[in-house]
Amino acid sequence: MTNILEVKDLCKTYVVNKRQNNVLKNVNFRIDEGEMVAVMGPSGSGKSTLLYAVSGMDHITSGRVDFCGKNIAKMNQKELANLRLDEMGFIFQQMYMLKNLSVLDNIILPACQSGKIKESRRETTERGHALMRKMGIIEVADNDINEVSGGQLQRACICRSMINKPKMIFADEPTGALNRSSSDEVMEELAKLNAEGTTVMLVTHDVKVAAKCTRVLYIVDGNIQGEYKLEKYDKTKLRDRERALNGWLMEMGW
Amino acid sequence: MYLRILKKDIKRKKTMNVILLIFVILAATFIASSANNLITLNGALDNFFDKSNVPDYWFATTNAPDLERFEEFAEENGYDYSISRLIQIEPKNVLVEGKKFEYSNTLALSTLGGIKIFDKNNEEITHINDGEIYVTGEIFQSTENDFHEGGKIFISQGGIEKEFTLKGYTKDALFGSAMVGMTRFLVSENDAALFGGDGATICSSVEVHTKDADYSDKFNALSINAVLSADGSMAKMMYMMDILIAAILLVVSVCLILISMVILRFIINFTIAEEFREIGVMKAIGIKNFAIRGLYVVKYFAIAVIGTAVGLGLSFPFSRIMLNGVTQKIVISGEDNFLINIGAAILAGAAVVLFSYLCTRKIRKFSPIDAIRSGETGERFKKKGFLRLGKSRIPTVTFMALNDIFSGIKSYVSMIIIFILGTLLVIIPVNTINTLRSDKLITTFNMVESDHVISQELLFNPNEDNKAMVERKFSEVREMFSENGIEVDVFQEIMFLSNISKGEKRTNSVSFQGIGGVTADMYTYLEGTSPQNVHEVALTYIVADRIGAEIGDDVEIKVGEDTRTYTVTAIYQSMNNMGEGVRFHQNAELDYNYAAGCFGLQVNYKDNPDKAELAERKKLLEKLYPEANIYTPGEYIGYMIGNVAEQLDSMKVLILSIILGINALVALLMVKSFITKEKSEIALMKAIGFKNNPLTLIQTMRIGIVLLISVIVGALISSPLTPLIITPFFKMMGAYSITYDIRAVEVYVVYPLIMLGITALAAFVSAQGLRKISSSEISNNE
Repeated sequence: MTNILEVKDLCKTYVVNKRQNNVLKNVNFRIDEGEMVAVMGPSGSGKSTLLYAVSGMDHITSGRVDFCGKNIAKMNQKELANLRLDEMGFIFQQMYMLKNLSVLDNIILPACQSGKIKESRRETTERGHALMRKMGIIEVADNDINEVSGGQLQRACICRSMINKPKMIFADEPTGALNRSSSDEVMEELAKLNAEGTTVMLVTHDVKVAAKCTRVLYIVDGNIQGEYKLEKYDKTKLRDRERALNGWLMEMGW
Repeated sequence: MYLRILKKDIKRKKTMNVILLIFVILAATFIASSANNLITLNGALDNFFDKSNVPDYWFATTNAPDLERFEEFAEENGYDYSISRLIQIEPKNVLVEGKKFEYSNTLALSTLGGIKIFDKNNEEITHINDGEIYVTGEIFQSTENDFHEGGKIFISQGGIEKEFTLKGYTKDALFGSAMVGMTRFLVSENDAALFGGDGATICSSVEVHTKDADYSDKFNALSINAVLSADGSMAKMMYMMDILIAAILLVVSVCLILISMVILRFIINFTIAEEFREIGVMKAIGIKNFAIRGLYVVKYFAIAVIGTAVGLGLSFPFSRIMLNGVTQKIVISGEDNFLINIGAAILAGAAVVLFSYLCTRKIRKFSPIDAIRSGETGERFKKKGFLRLGKSRIPTVTFMALNDIFSGIKSYVSMIIIFILGTLLVIIPVNTINTLRSDKLITTFNMVESDHVISQELLFNPNEDNKAMVERKFSEVREMFSENGIEVDVFQEIMFLSNISKGEKRTNSVSFQGIGGVTADMYTYLEGTSPQNVHEVALTYIVADRIGAEIGDDVEIKVGEDTRTYTVTAIYQSMNNMGEGVRFHQNAELDYNYAAGCFGLQVNYKDNPDKAELAERKKLLEKLYPEANIYTPGEYIGYMIGNVAEQLDSMKVLILSIILGINALVALLMVKSFITKEKSEIALMKAIGFKNNPLTLIQTMRIGIVLLISVIVGALISSPLTPLIITPFFKMMGAYSITYDIRAVEVYVVYPLIMLGITALAAFVSAQGLRKISSSEISNNE
């Protein structure tokens, strides 16, 4: 399998009141195309920082992050923006959307701004509708964002992350603000996307969520302490996967 | 605690506070200086007139028998009067520093006598040496001529030549305003005698001091042919333009105060919205509303105090700059009205504090929990916007800008109000100035429209056949054009001094007869029909009103020695002589030996040349008449009413600069606040791949669209507002119905584009601040 993301000696340091705070320390890992990788770890371990650093959302202090063979650490703001627009999709815990746009408009906005897919506005809208239909939220297409539930909104965020047919989706605790049933629905959709070939990297605290992934990275104090592969377990036997993962996490000090 | 909060707030909202401070300073400066100017000018005029000993009544006449009759009349009634001689000089016979004296109205040499005249240091001029000369402040200021102290002025007339040394300028209450239509140079008795010998045209200026309420009626009954006739209050009206300028500045100042308040409201609302949670926590722990409001008001109090103090300081030099032009014309006493400045500035500051207190009222309204929830309960009953990206075809960036405006139009109300006010402040003065300079306005100056005006005023001499002289002149002009292959109509307005009566009511007025290629029906009348025969006349509103005449009435008009009966057939308006005027039929038999003067020679080309050709012909005329000035009708009016249009022009530049400054500051402020408010949304857009340029463009376009909407609204409102505001001023000058010269391209395209350009540039510069926002700051979203 070809790797889509390769991280070498990644360091991220914040300086607060003249004191250095090394959030990520020589992080190394790779993600292959079609994988669904979860990053787990205790609070303040650097999970979200890692996600933002490898997705080009945040600057890194040193090291190398190759996305599709290109070092994003060397890219300028414009190139990074293009990358985020065309090749990456993002899902956030808080379901961030633009307040003045309808749900559908929020979804198709990246496509309207991007030149990646040559199509008319009508075709973009149709694609937006198709994605919403697939996610089961077509009935809220014209609603304002405060007229829909959290679960629907997060699914809309998944639609937005998919609208430009990205190579990889980055999700920062995508189910963190949802109740269990909404959380399950969202993860089901992410798993479907992954099954269709989209690479996913997500940050989570939830073992149930991580159990749906193919691999789990465990991070403590800015270091990857280990990884656990779930490929060997049957995808349908979620309980087995969860149990196995829980065991490994206990070993890691979770 | 207040100090600590103040310090923190000033640090956090530096730009906003600085912009608010600038507005408070501007408002305080303008309101203090314009209130001072208006009050000073009004008081100073009274003072100046008292100090100058301006007569209660004043007239000037060239008719010696009339003067004798007046002297008998004054002796009989025991009136206190004085007579000074004005020796008429043709402006073309005057050289200033070797160059032709540029002046189109009547010029006279005069000696001291009559009213008191003051020099630049406000000292009364009591003696003039031979060879010395003084000009009025109005003339001294004129940019066309190089007048400076110690400069040389050469006068040659009637075979007499003399070079004078310019001693300085005068503050002359009677001849100091361009609206008088006449100016005088002061010389010594000997020099006046030199030019006032045989053959000179002498005009006697008679000043009468009396409290006799019946004086006017008695004087009018004398039927004296007066070149000028006015009472004290009318003389004051001649300074109306100077007061008008101070009044315009006061209007601008009031607008600035309004704008400051709108900005203040915006900043307070913005601050409260931003600090909702803190307010909620304060409320929850039991801090009283008054104390919370105090936290905010104390900041605006500090800004108001600093702004008022700085504005007050600036208002003193600003007042002096604004009064600079006027101080060359009138004596303004040394005691500055400091108290007016201080009072006005304190009022402006107090208005800001009071308004800020009123704006914090909303703190009272919400409960602690509302505030903790940032005022959002999650309920909303209105749809955000009606635009849909999926259904529109407009580019994404334009859509985002438009959608943001229509989704939260309330946030833009302050900006729209400010931009509309700014647009009105630009358009209304521009319309006024253009109207004052328009060729069409000539019809309100007792003239008909023409292609060009040649400043060849004829000097009428009672001892010559003046009518023959006029006809000779016309045929000379026609021949000269004919030799150059151009066929023209030539005509001129001849002015007479007349006395009009209906029954017991009498008045003096200038009257006009257009001769040459012009007929009475070519003039503009507001009521009735033009005089159709020699026994018919038209009167201005002012004259008709004075004698109570209406259309169809018979009136008696005395010109020279002849008194004839005429039927009034029309009423018209005139801005000459503060609204006075009588229009005779072109064939009315008038004694040209009593003609008091004339306007420039008007030329109409028979082949209707276009603009470019007209410009060429103006050049040709300048070659053919090197000694004369060639004007378009609009330029000729400018010449007649003095530098009023120029003053208004510089005012236009000042107002435009202020408005551009205000718009730029407002754009800076708004964009800055939008960026602060929308930080997380900007971060989100960056996270999903928006680059800095489109985001900057969205911010800039929002301001641009709002300005565009405001300019359109402002332009639409300006059409009915211009006459509503400006017509009263024209009425004071005698024009009751003005067709405004609204130059669509200038008013609706050029100025809006300048405003749009500068404002968009300011918005663009301010929007650069969003570059600092990183996509990872998305978590600031609430």
